[in-house]
Amino acid sequence: MYKLINNLMGELSSIHRISDDAFIPLDPGNTDYQEYLAWLAEGNEPLPADD
Amino acid sequence: MALTDIDGVRLADNAFTLGKNLIINGAMQVAQRGTSSTASTYGTVDRFRPSYASGTVTQTQQSLTSGDPYDEGFRYFLRTTNTTAGSDDAAEQREIRQYIEAQNLASSGWNYTSSTSYCTLSFWARSSVGGTYYVLNRSIDGTSQGYTFSFELTADTWTKVTHAIPGNSNITVDNDNGIGFQIRFLTDLGTNYTDSGHTLNTWAAFSDSSRCPDFSHDWAGTTDATFDVTGVQLEVGSVATPFEHRSYGDELARCQRYFQVCIRNEEFVTACVTSSSGANTGLAFVNEMRAAPTITLATAGSSAGNVAFLTTGGGTPSTIGSHEALSITTYGFRFKASGYSASGWTSGAATNVYGYSTATVYTASAEL
Repeated sequence: MYKLINNLMGELSSIHRISDDAFIPLDPGNTDYQEYLAWLAEGNEPLPADD
Repeated sequence: MALTDIDGVRLADNAFTLGKNLIINGAMQVAQRGTSSTASTYGTVDRFRPSYASGTVTQTQQSLTSGDPYDEGFRYFLRTTNTTAGSDDAAEQREIRQYIEAQNLASSGWNYTSSTSYCTLSFWARSSVGGTYYVLNRSIDGTSQGYTFSFELTADTWTKVTHAIPGNSNITVDNDNGIGFQIRFLTDLGTNYTDSGHTLNTWAAFSDSSRCPDFSHDWAGTTDATFDVTGVQLEVGSVATPFEHRSYGDELARCQRYFQVCIRNEEFVTACVTSSSGANTGLAFVNEMRAAPTITLATAGSSAGNVAFLTTGGGTPSTIGSHEALSITTYGFRFKASGYSASGWTSGAATNVYGYSTATVYTASAEL
């Protein structure tokens, strides 16, 4: 499962992969981000960012 | 002018070329993640990725203390040990891989689309199980191509393997930071991945079910079987030249483009308090990384190995909240604390961040 992380302006800034407590950047060259995008494409939804 | 003769000994023109080895950490010197792991991915020796399925494999960085590769200056090797034999023969997979960044290959000087232009792979290998082994070279961009060659090992004997690989008009290598080539040492594969009719020493469209011919040995079915490799070099040209030995520091810097670990003790950076419960600071990588990396952080706390933002007076907070990494780039990231209760924390105040008893503050992975 993933959770969205926003920056101070409320913009999406990284993805928290809860299973191993890793923080994934929004970079198409990052293999973990590629896996996240594939996970999204399967119809999954991440947990929303904290307010 | 080409250099071909020194003291009467003829040498290949690129024998002394700095940076000729396209393999990073080919002497297995750098192991930032540790020296033993059961992960079916990067776990010990940097840049080398063991991959297995059905059964379990332990990967270790081992010291080399004697033998022919030792005499050539190698002091480490990567060992994979077949800890648990596979339960599904057809699905067994035992490989060691290195993924070469595309732009490094594109700009190497190898005319990879020409069948008369070569690159040469050389390495030392040893296995507790004698027999025929394979190396699969796979291009990724465009229509993926595969080229597999075999090599023979006598049990428990170091063997130097060299093989010249020609180019092919079907190979595509983009000039970018993705995977250009996969170099895959095939220790054993089940029949899901092999083909009795597979043709060696020729390029063909890659097929995952035809990585190589069927194996005649059963390394994956042999408990505690070992496969060792070191001295891996991929260079432009049709001749294997002496290994390009690099210093530990040089090799570490190359590895840090793909993986970095930050280990610190006591105060290591100053942070800005943003509220009564939150603070921020920036952490920079020692080298620019291949891509923005995935970050893992030390546990927030005050036990050995933990990290905490301190009170403005330099003490341990009464409540240590949670930490996040965000705004991650190839150069660094923002390290954020929230949920704290800490003396002196008012917006705009400065405080320090502390590693307790040598903490792994973060790891950053931009591996291919």
